[in-house]
Amino acid sequence: MTAKNEPQYDVLWPLSRKAVKKTAAAPRVPDLNGKTIVELWDVIFRGETIYPLVREYIKKRFPGVKFVPYTEIGNFHGAREREVTATIPDKIRHFKADAAIVGIGA
Amino acid sequence: MLRAAAIVEKMGVPTASIIGSGFLKQAEVILKGIGVPLAIGVYPGAPMVDSEAELMRKVEESLAPGLLKGITGDAPVEGDTSVEPQAGAVVFSGSYDDVQEYFYRNLWTDGLPVTPPTRERVDAFLAFTERKADEVLRVIPQEGREASILSIAVNGVMAGCRPEYMPVLIAIVDALCDPKYRVEDSGSTPGWEPVVIVNGPIVKELDFNYGQGVMRVGRQANTSIGRFVRMYLRNICGFRIPPGAGDKGSIGQTFLVAMAEDEDSAAAVGWPTYAEDRGFKKGENIVTVHSVVAITSPMYSGGDDAKTHVQQWTDIIGGSFTYWAHTGFKTGLWSPLIIAGPSIAGVIAKEWSKDQVRQYMYDHMKVTAAKATHYAQMTSTPTFNFESLVEQGILPPSYTESKDPQRLVNVLIKPEMVEILVAGDPGRNQSRAYMSNHVQGPPTSRKVELPKNWAQLVSASKK
Repeated sequence: MTAKNEPQYDVLWPLSRKAVKKTAAAPRVPDLNGKTIVELWDVIFRGETIYPLVREYIKKRFPGVKFVPYTEIGNFHGAREREVTATIPDKIRHFKADAAIVGIGA
Repeated sequence: MLRAAAIVEKMGVPTASIIGSGFLKQAEVILKGIGVPLAIGVYPGAPMVDSEAELMRKVEESLAPGLLKGITGDAPVEGDTSVEPQAGAVVFSGSYDDVQEYFYRNLWTDGLPVTPPTRERVDAFLAFTERKADEVLRVIPQEGREASILSIAVNGVMAGCRPEYMPVLIAIVDALCDPKYRVEDSGSTPGWEPVVIVNGPIVKELDFNYGQGVMRVGRQANTSIGRFVRMYLRNICGFRIPPGAGDKGSIGQTFLVAMAEDEDSAAAVGWPTYAEDRGFKKGENIVTVHSVVAITSPMYSGGDDAKTHVQQWTDIIGGSFTYWAHTGFKTGLWSPLIIAGPSIAGVIAKEWSKDQVRQYMYDHMKVTAAKATHYAQMTSTPTFNFESLVEQGILPPSYTESKDPQRLVNVLIKPEMVEILVAGDPGRNQSRAYMSNHVQGPPTSRKVELPKNWAQLVSASKK
């Protein structure tokens, strides 16, 4: 494409630095018996049907697992998003969560 | 949603997140910006259109096993090991065409040719601010990139702006960076687009169009600044359509040229300007960034009495925006921004203040509760109901005064949600309205900070 004597341009990178502090994922929990899974739901995309099915699936394999239903955390999307999101750490500690299921992005 | 999962994961509690298969590329981008790898269970396809049996099958066969593995299996690991250039580095040298091709292949353009961002051109922009090039306004959540002054200048050059627009560009990005604006939701499926509204003496100084043809491409200030916003959302905020990712607008809109108010006409009819409505003083240079998810047809209205015009607005805006108002009901916020044609504003303002216009529209724009509920359930929220929203204090009690599904409820939650600005063709009786996307991109304003030697710089740039 370049014709002779055409001006040359030294161009700058148009993006900017990523300032992300990286953290490793949490250790997993191979045996869920006796453990607590906290549910978080953003109240969209049929979670009212999906979460009970997921609960049932996991309980079949780990009968001793306990679920804290999504109603305990509240809707972390929409009108009260920031307020509810700010309460998540305290609630996770309060319910002594061993794991969490978070949804729904669809 | 993944940001909530990241909060939990960073506390040392393993998570597994539910993601629809169509959102995996979006998730990939977000994961790079939140700094912790997350496990994902995939729901194949779109849950909103699956039968009950199909949904059960997909949960059993795909989603639930994925979630279980995410919690009990191997911990997810960081996948992004890419090394990027330094901010301000020269990344390519070549001819005009070579630059276009290189930028296009790297997904750094909007598909149109860009002005090559050379050091010299970028420095010309930086001369129009007293802020340092490496100053960071905010780290933007989506990709975790810094909204730096330098990044504003580079993308301003690329979008075809003039150097003297730089103070406006900085104010725009500062508004985008306001957490209340929620720039991280710019890639949501409704495909909303920001519009920039400009008020103050700078409208004339920078030659914005606010008259006939406003909102059409063709005037450099309006067009290039509108293009800049989309370019910035793409390059710094991380919202790219395929073959990129991050922008999940299902059927998106193109960029909107900047909107400017006809302040002379507003003054002539005796109405405060849009910026004054938002609490700023007359004569201040203000930009407001505002999401637009829908636009009405042109609203023609005739007659020499206020009510006839406002009734027409109410009918047309109600007809156009009532469907999507359910998103406002869920979040407690939405707004119609009306561009009132100068001739129409003149008729209305003889009898009514802007507040009287707002009150009329609030009182007369109605929808049945059943219809609004149906709209919400079809979109994403099968559990939508007014009772729950009133109970949570998101909507006022008037929405549940009766249990009759056929009762009429207000489409506008509060009269003050109606925004009015005067612009457009003085020789025609036309207005138009723009709908915000609930809490995503609510009107957010910033004062434009001009450098001390502004007049001298502008004068020199015009030679």
